[in-house]
Amino acid sequence: MQEQFSRAESGGAAPGAIIHEDTTVKWFVVSSISYFFIVGIIALVIAAKFVWPDLMGTTSWLTYGRLRPLHVNGMLFGWLLAADMGLTFYIVPRLCAVKIWSEKLGVATGILWNIIILSAVVSLLLGRNKGFEYGELEMFISVLVVVAWLMFTANILMTIFQRKYQAMYVSIWYFMGCLLWTAFVYLTGNFATLLATGVNQANLNWMYVHNAVGLIFTPVGLGIAYYFIPRSSNTPLFSHKLSMVGFWSLAFVYVWTGAHHMLHGPISQWLQTIAIAFSLMLLVPVWAVVYNLIITMKGQWHQLRDKVELKFLMSGVVFYLLTCFQGPMHSLRTVNAIVSKTDWIPGHAHMAVLGAFSFFAIAGTYYAAPRVFGKLLHSVPLANWSYWMIMIGGLGFFTTLWLGGFWQGWQWNNVSIPFIDTVVALKPIWTVRFISGVMIFVGIVMFAYNIMATVLGPETEAAA
Amino acid sequence: MLRKADTSAVWAIVASLVLFFIGGLLTTVVPPMVDKSWGKPFANSDPAKGPTGHLAKLNEQQLQGRAIYVREGCWYCHTQQIRTLLADTKRYGWKGVDAPISTPDEFVYDTPHMFGTKRTGPDLARIGGRYDTQWHRTHFRNPRDLVKGSIMPAFPWIVNDPKEFTALVAYMQTLGRAKDWRPANDYEK
Repeated sequence: MQEQFSRAESGGAAPGAIIHEDTTVKWFVVSSISYFFIVGIIALVIAAKFVWPDLMGTTSWLTYGRLRPLHVNGMLFGWLLAADMGLTFYIVPRLCAVKIWSEKLGVATGILWNIIILSAVVSLLLGRNKGFEYGELEMFISVLVVVAWLMFTANILMTIFQRKYQAMYVSIWYFMGCLLWTAFVYLTGNFATLLATGVNQANLNWMYVHNAVGLIFTPVGLGIAYYFIPRSSNTPLFSHKLSMVGFWSLAFVYVWTGAHHMLHGPISQWLQTIAIAFSLMLLVPVWAVVYNLIITMKGQWHQLRDKVELKFLMSGVVFYLLTCFQGPMHSLRTVNAIVSKTDWIPGHAHMAVLGAFSFFAIAGTYYAAPRVFGKLLHSVPLANWSYWMIMIGGLGFFTTLWLGGFWQGWQWNNVSIPFIDTVVALKPIWTVRFISGVMIFVGIVMFAYNIMATVLGPETEAAA
Repeated sequence: MLRKADTSAVWAIVASLVLFFIGGLLTTVVPPMVDKSWGKPFANSDPAKGPTGHLAKLNEQQLQGRAIYVREGCWYCHTQQIRTLLADTKRYGWKGVDAPISTPDEFVYDTPHMFGTKRTGPDLARIGGRYDTQWHRTHFRNPRDLVKGSIMPAFPWIVNDPKEFTALVAYMQTLGRAKDWRPANDYEK
């Protein structure tokens, strides 16, 4: 299978010259899909609590306030980041045409990551919550996350340093960016915030919250998309130059936007204006990336019919475009006055984390898991079913929450409507959200089952 | 320089960090140095300059109550900020008086901050003194007994623990009281 891929990857040794052990990838793939399934159940419970608030209501550790941080942290760190790390361990050695620097260190990182997630589950259910959005985990767990991240960073950077090709494919820049930015963004959100109070602390917290998506999940997600779209479709990337525009504008612009979480709030007006200006500039990296990936598929769209991972990848690109159009629009003061703090926000956040980046991670898992385990994918029809379930459930989820959020915002702005009436009015929206959530969850079960059946299924030589 | 980062990992690392730190420092470290109101507690005795009053630190019991508020994740559904929108000042006012807009100097003792990102329930920035202890007791035992259609969880384990319940209510009664905004001080205990 000789691909025209990127100039970084196509020169040099013939493919297959290096035998990758991929033990680390296996660890991360199996852990991440397990947490995707487990935390999916939590997600359903909290969606159900909007419709039936008394559900499991008299047990302290099963209330919304305890389960919500578990859902958020579980999905972000247990599923998505773990899957992204596993795929980074898969992609980087292949793009560098070398073995991973240390397989042992990689496996140790995978084990430590599982310890972190399991301690997080216990401590969050006990109500041990630092009180920062996305930074809820207790101090000792945050320290373990830093240790695990350093282990991950050392391993990937050392692999990149000893690469065979001088030129680095765009995915490698994105992974390097993710490693570095995550380190500083995480330290800000979990440690620097403790040195500040009030508005200053909120500003640091939102620098973290916004960049957890913008400078952690975006770069690693795009790195994955940039690798698997050309790889799976056997097509060269449209433009190397355009990928540079996308990467470096993202590197500069994203970090400025955190204060748009405080529009109209108790924070300096000039800082809000800066955040709005930079949020609008985000359209530059997004268009550069999306245009590049879409044009790469020119003449190749028919491949979507046969390759489920391409379905996920290209839908992910479209959701990425939509969510990154919503973001700048939402940061305009007039739009913000309506949708801010409504159910529009979870609709938007879910399209980024589920619609865009989880789609990329699912696609990567569908592509990589059979190859690292040396098996054929258990069932292609089941994989297609998982796509349609998550896709339709996701669309139902996103669109009802945007429309519901707008409606909610209009009602809030009419002060003659009592607040409780705006809550009751949203109940049909939350019912549809729950039903869509069930569909997404069924899709997740199909995905997790398919991968596990692949892993446990019979060996085959054809897959590698 | 960015061209070089194409083939040199060290250049790529340096360039990524430089671009990151320009924006990072200018938006997080510099602003509190420029805008001093982020760090100075609210105090005003001149009625011509808006609501009068001064910000006091929370006492031991109120801090305990705040810790319970954090533990139970109340902040996921209730924001604590009156924004510069008419809808916020009108909606969260009381008996015809508009709620004063939240300013940075009201929050200098707050950690963790409780501004929140989502209003599934109403904003609580000016809730202090709006309802009495008995109301809170009934409401925490089962919100739907007082507010039909509410989706707030019941918190019987707090109501049944007198120490926790008293502390939580003591904290909630402080919210927004620094700005003495209600006429004739008609706050509930």
